[in-house]
Amino acid sequence: MTQQIHRTASEAETIALGEQLARDLPARGVVLLIGNLGAGKTTLAKGIVHGLGAAPTDEVSSPTFTLIHEFGNGRVYHIDLYRLDELRELATLGLDEIFDRDALVLIEWGERFPRILPAERTEIRIRATGDDEREIEVTRLFEQTK
Amino acid sequence: MRILGIESSCDETAASVVEDGETVLSSVVASQMSTHGKYGGVVPELASREHLRAIVPVVREALEQAGTRLQDLDAIAATVGPGLVGSLLVGLTYAKSLCFARGLPLIAVNHIEGHIHAVVMESKRAGTPVEFPAMALVVSGGHTHLFEVREGFEYRLLGKTRDDAAGEAFDKVAKLLGFGYPGGPIIDRLAPHGDQSAVRFTFAKMKGNALDFSFSGLKTAVLRWVEAQDMESEIETRRAVRRDKPAPSIEEWLAVTPQRTLDLLASFQHAVIVELLTRARSAAEGMEARTVIVSGGVACNSGLRVAATSARFACPVYFPSPGLSTDNAAMIAAAAFPKLARREFASLDIAAEANLTLT
Repeated sequence: MTQQIHRTASEAETIALGEQLARDLPARGVVLLIGNLGAGKTTLAKGIVHGLGAAPTDEVSSPTFTLIHEFGNGRVYHIDLYRLDELRELATLGLDEIFDRDALVLIEWGERFPRILPAERTEIRIRATGDDEREIEVTRLFEQTK
Repeated sequence: MRILGIESSCDETAASVVEDGETVLSSVVASQMSTHGKYGGVVPELASREHLRAIVPVVREALEQAGTRLQDLDAIAATVGPGLVGSLLVGLTYAKSLCFARGLPLIAVNHIEGHIHAVVMESKRAGTPVEFPAMALVVSGGHTHLFEVREGFEYRLLGKTRDDAAGEAFDKVAKLLGFGYPGGPIIDRLAPHGDQSAVRFTFAKMKGNALDFSFSGLKTAVLRWVEAQDMESEIETRRAVRRDKPAPSIEEWLAVTPQRTLDLLASFQHAVIVELLTRARSAAEGMEARTVIVSGGVACNSGLRVAATSARFACPVYFPSPGLSTDNAAMIAAAAFPKLARREFASLDIAAEANLTLT
């Protein structure tokens, strides 16, 4: 396990941090974006997707209703499990197939379904410490830590 | 001329037969079918396997209700995107199979274009056809888009949401206040009981396209307001109401919703409506629109309908009837008629496109 903590003071800084984090993320793997409503999960996703050169930040919007967004011809997925409650519902989404692809998979509200997650993954926790200030903690979990 | 439309881009499996681009002979939506027993159990609407269960009975029901046989059809239209690929594939593949078996042309329709055509079709039938150029606001749980619609149905994207869709903001605010998800329609029915000027929500000025929307900040502002007000016990009461009864009546909700919360809901809804209509009006003025179209699930919102009617648009504003506002297949069939006239048919190997844009 490795861990880093970052602080941002505005939405623009959170996007910039996402762009910077994108450089260190593996080209394929699962990244959980963890935080309350309004913490800035989608904002950080904008930065990561843009940092990977998969889409401009304006193209990255909330996948809550649409569940799965795909960028850069399948290089990056942005998934939101907010409106799902049961594993049974999840089973029909085909997440396994997406995890098997050569893609970086960003997931909001994924921590609610630990059973479906690969042991080797990155967890990014976002906490609001003020109106615009955010504390962002990046944790890499490896296979042997399970 | 009859077209069978099939829609399966997200939650709903739907089929419809439309005649001559203006008469809806049938419009069946799986989650609204009274006879769920036909394919076993209630309909949890998510994703491809549920679409797979529903597609055959829904199409059969649509043909039956329309008194139409496959050989009476002139074409079959299906949504090719945007949406979930797995879900889109179900409707699209079924449409392809029927076309192949019956030698019918396949027409590929963009889901968002479908929403626009729900209004084009109904206004044509009402004798007040849409005049071009038109400006369309498509607003739902997944979309918040402004389009210029030119003669011949050419489209230009004028603006869209950069974060949450408007319908999503409604649903998330409802959930955080204990009304459950999705709760947009509950807010709409409670809002008239509150004071819309009680809580002032301001929108941050955005850089870039002035016609883009943002609803994430408003959602967060509501959350902060709720956190500051110590509302945990009333929220818990509402959650308990929902556990006892899946769909409480408005009277039951009113009984567990204090005035300050009703004021908050009214203020929130007002803020969303102002945001939608301000940008819609400036888009319509910018392109000198001769008609404004408002469509998509949020077009059901009665507050939005009233506000749009009293807003100072320089041209008529048309909404679809509620049944054609939310996802349906009549709009997909309707959007296919101009393509049928142009013989704009899709090849049977056309692929579903998750990120399909409208141009």
